[in-house]
Formats: sequence, C-alpha cells, structure tokens
Amino acid sequence: MRTPIISTIFQKELKEVLRDKRMIYLIILLPFFLYPVLFTIIGKVGQSQSKKIASEKVSVYLNPEGQGTPVFERLREDTSLNLIVQHFDQAIIDSAKNTIGVYVDPNFTQIQENKGSAEIKIYADNSKDLLNNRRKRLVRKFNALNDSLVHDRLAAAALDSTFIKAINIQEEDLATDEEMIGKILGSFLPMLLLLFIFLGCIYIAIDITAGEKERRTLQSLFTTPVTTREIIAGKFGAVFTIGIVSATMNLLSLFVAMLIQFSLMSSGDTASGGGDAPAFALSVSPVGWLWVVVIILLSTIFLAALSLAVVLLANSYKEAQSYVSPLMMLVLLPAIISQMPGLELNTTTALIPMLNISLAIGEVLKGSFDTGMVALVALLALIYAVFALWLASKTFGNENVITGEKVSWKALLSRK
Amino acid sequence: MQTQIEARALTKDFNGFRAVDDLSFEVKEGEIFGLLGPNGAGKTTTLRMLSGLLTPTRGEAFIAGHSMQNDQLAARASMGFLTGDMDLYRRLTPVEVLAYFGKLYGVPKSQWRAKGKELIEAFGIRDFQDKHCEKLSTGQKQRVSIARTLIHDPKVVILDEPTTGLDIMASEFILQFIRRMAKEEGKTVIFSTHHMDEVERLCDRIAVMHHGQLQHCGTIEEAKDKTNKNKLAEAFFELVGATSI
Repeated sequence: MRTPIISTIFQKELKEVLRDKRMIYLIILLPFFLYPVLFTIIGKVGQSQSKKIASEKVSVYLNPEGQGTPVFERLREDTSLNLIVQHFDQAIIDSAKNTIGVYVDPNFTQIQENKGSAEIKIYADNSKDLLNNRRKRLVRKFNALNDSLVHDRLAAAALDSTFIKAINIQEEDLATDEEMIGKILGSFLPMLLLLFIFLGCIYIAIDITAGEKERRTLQSLFTTPVTTREIIAGKFGAVFTIGIVSATMNLLSLFVAMLIQFSLMSSGDTASGGGDAPAFALSVSPVGWLWVVVIILLSTIFLAALSLAVVLLANSYKEAQSYVSPLMMLVLLPAIISQMPGLELNTTTALIPMLNISLAIGEVLKGSFDTGMVALVALLALIYAVFALWLASKTFGNENVITGEKVSWKALLSRK
Repeated sequence: MQTQIEARALTKDFNGFRAVDDLSFEVKEGEIFGLLGPNGAGKTTTLRMLSGLLTPTRGEAFIAGHSMQNDQLAARASMGFLTGDMDLYRRLTPVEVLAYFGKLYGVPKSQWRAKGKELIEAFGIRDFQDKHCEKLSTGQKQRVSIARTLIHDPKVVILDEPTTGLDIMASEFILQFIRRMAKEEGKTVIFSTHHMDEVERLCDRIAVMHHGQLQHCGTIEEAKDKTNKNKLAEAFFELVGATSI
C-alpha cells in the first residue's frame, strides 16, 4: 500500500466533509452546545419543580377524634398543611384535589395511657409527586412522635433508651467521592461513548460510500491505478478520524456540562443539592486512562470499518439511512445490557462485542479493574476490528457494489 | 501501428444471463473506434470490463499492452475512462478535482500542474475553475470530467456516451476534442454512442453489438457494404436485426 495515495484519498474525504455545513453542525457544533444547554435546562426545571413541591399547600383531613392528641399538634405546627378536622372517607380524599387523610384511632389517648399501640392511617394518592412528598413528611413526623412517646414511657419505667435497642447498627461508607463519581460515570458513560463514536462514524461512512454512489463519483475512483486496499485505507482513515473527533467533542461537552452541574450542586444552587455535594474528580490511574484510550481507539476502528462495510451495500443516501437503526441497535443493545445490575467483566462477557467494551470502560472508571481482563477486551476488540476491516474490504472489492448493482451478503462472502 | 486496446474473447455472465459473449477486437494507436448497439447490447459492460470495473467471466482485456486482469494498475495508469455514470465531487472545485486525480495517477506534481493548466485552457475551464462542481452546468461539468480523464496524459481514452445530455455546442466541443486527441496527439479512443452522425464524423472503425455478441467489426464502409445499405443508420438496423424507420 502506498502512503501518498492513501493520504491523498484521506485528505480529499476530510476536505469534502469539512465543506459540508450539515456535517460540521452534526459533529462539532451540536455536541458542543447540546449537553451544557440540556443539563442546565433540566437542572433549572428540576429545581423549580422541587421548590414548588416543597412550598405548595396540601389539605389534610383529620378525623375529629384526633383533635387534642399530639398528632393534631404536630399537624397544626406545619405551615405547609391546611388542616381540616372533620369526618372523611376514602372517596372524599380521592375526589378532592391535593388532599391527604389522616385517621387517628378514636381511643388514642386511652391507648397511650395503657401503654398500648394506637393506629394512625394515612390516605394519600402516591402516584402524585406532591402528595407522595407530603406523605413521606407525615411519616417522618409520626415516627418522631413515636420516638418521643416511647422515650417518655421508658423514662417513666426508669429505663434507658438502650433497653429497646439491643443492637446499634453503624454504617461506614468506604467509597471515596472519586469512586462514587466513577461508579456513576461508569454506569452510563460507556454507552454514551459508543453512541457518539457510532454516530460520528456512520454519517460520514454513508456520505463517502452510498453518498458517493448516489452522486456517481465512486466508479471514477475505481478506474484509477489505486488498489482497493488503498481506497479502503483512505476512506477508513477519514471515518475513523471523524468518529474520534465526534466522540471527543461529545465527551468534552458532557464533562463541561457535568462540571457546571457539580459546581451548582456544591454551591447549593440546585434543588437536589446542598453544600455537601462531592467535587467532580475521578480516581483513575494514568494506566487506567491509557487502557480507556486504547479501548476507545480499537472500538472506533471496529465501528468505522463496520459502518463502511454495511452502508456501502446501499445505493443511495436514503437506503443507507435505513441501515442506521438496526446497526445502532446491534451496537447499543449490548452496551445497554452492560448496565444491568450484577453484570461483570469475566471471560464470557469479554467475548461479546460492545458489551465487553462497555463493561471494561465502566470498570476502569470505577477505579478498580483487572488488568488481565481489560487487556483481553482490548485484544478481542482488535480482533473484531480486523474482522470488520476484512468485511469492509470484501464489500469494497465487490464489483456489484462498485457498479451500483444489488448485492447479497451470501454472494459477498462467498466471492473469492 | 501498435495495438493499444485488445478485447480477447471477453465474456460476462450476470446470474446466468450472458451480457457479453466471446467478444474480440483490437484498436490501434491513434484510432477512433466506435462501439455501437441498442440499449442492453452489452456496450457498457464491455467498456467496464476494458476499464477493470468488471472482471470478465472469461477472456482478457489489454490496455497499452498491459493485462487488465493480471497487471491492473499499469493498465489503468495507461487509460482515461469516462462514462455517463460518473460525476464530479460536488464540494471540490475543478482545479481540486484535477489535482486529486493527478495525484491518484501518480503523476509528479510539476507535471499534473502543467497538464492541468493546459487542460483548463483547452477546455475553457478558467472562468469557473474555482467554483464548487455542484454549481457548474451540465456542459461545464462534462468539460471538467473529460479534463479529469486526461490529466495523466493516457495513451488510451474510453468514453461511454460522452455527449449524452449536452446541448449542441457542448457536444460539438467534445467531438472536436476527441478528433484532436486521436489525430494530433496519437491517443487511442474508444467511445460508445447512439448518435450515428457522431460515428460517421469521427470513427475510423466501428463494432456493432447486439445481445452481447459482435455483429460487425470494421470500417463504416465495410458495414454498409456488408448490409447493402447506403447509410450507417440503415446498416446498423440491419446488423441488429431491427426494422429501419
């Protein structure tokens, strides 16, 4: 293979792509603005919704027998509740807007005096965010009331609170902030990464194969003194480069968006946040990052070659686009499956393309990984990439593909 | 004169259908050779086999003495090929197209630059040399396409219906250039067309194909004599077994 020829084809493909405004928009501008804007909008909407839920008034029906009990006092002191003391049933609560029912045992005071257990029933439609939020708040209130009453009983019996707590469970979370962030990132980042690489590769692959066939420019290339391998190498180089650029732009944008979110959380500016949010940092070693880069490069080779091999079978842009969805499912489904709880990288999962990549990147990001297993994934990714390149060369070398005739996979693979 | 194009028993089957059947002919240096036949006769398939786009089921094609099957790169380097199925890169300018193909044909930079300037002048491309090809008219595109075919100064030029879709002025320009290429520069030209007037004006010899088989290979006069007709069109109809209009 002659490097100057490959370089000529590569440069020409890139030049054409860079002159296509639609492609520039898709690969660079869209990802650059997408995530910061999206994350900010989602954050702001979430914040405003949380504030609304926290401050909106909710009516609470209390049966008249509850009046005069500590339950009544606890409800009355909450200003976000509109307390109504009257008889009610389930139908009334169900038909009224933003209403919860609290039914206190009519013999509450007597039961307490006899050191018994009085029943409090809460009626609420948990499918509504507002009512679910208040239900949880009421449960917390009543648990606190319970603790207070139990404390009084123990004191009356001259007993310490440890009397009813034979075991005191203490939990210590050994995970660092970096490890927690790595876990969160590792759960969704590999899938997004594969999606970005695939989208970056597929559209340029369509443009320089099926698009060229549609624009009737592919044949002239095949009448020049250039080998099929040189043509593949030049075109593959362009698809690979754009795939990497697209993935990098998307990731940068995503990280910028996450940094913004974390800084907002740290300053207590989001609904979910307080001042104790972790700083954005990862505990990935330089070797870990190196593995991530190697795996990403090999995955991009695989996806670039696979995209070329498949979309070259199409004779038009439109036909090629119809191949995108099934191909995307093929790529993303294993990556989605990798997010299932309990699924880990082992000798079986390492064999499955995309699933192994997703699991390996996820484990590296979490900060603890088995080097041998990640190396196995890299080796397999290399094998799959070589297979995809072979498939692409089969497609490119087929005369029916070049002349725009229909070609079946069977004929393609059986061709000598 | 040397043989520059040779079709030796070329045969091509597509899924059991024989598109070209045992076709043989030779074209000498400086000759303009017309390939005629109704639609589906096998002209385009023949030209595609000569250019290496299709591999013959049987037989062999030679360009400037190089086998298209066994010495493909040398054969392609000696040939310029243009069919109606080929267009220009829309987002490149004519100058960039010429440079691109110059590099692909392995022509040294100084040579393709000089040849490019010569072709830009010869084909009147200068006025639109820096426009993207998608903005050119059909005639302008065809001029650039033919210039692209000649950037490496090939010994053999294969043109498949080069005047299709062009107006009379653009067609005339192309035809005159074909004549000049062959008669002044000694290039060997093979071209297919449906226009009998173009054939009579340009071709030294013709081949008439029908159902993938060669019906006649020789001069236009020989075709007329063989069929006892006075006009090429009538001889053509006779050779392909059709009723003349």
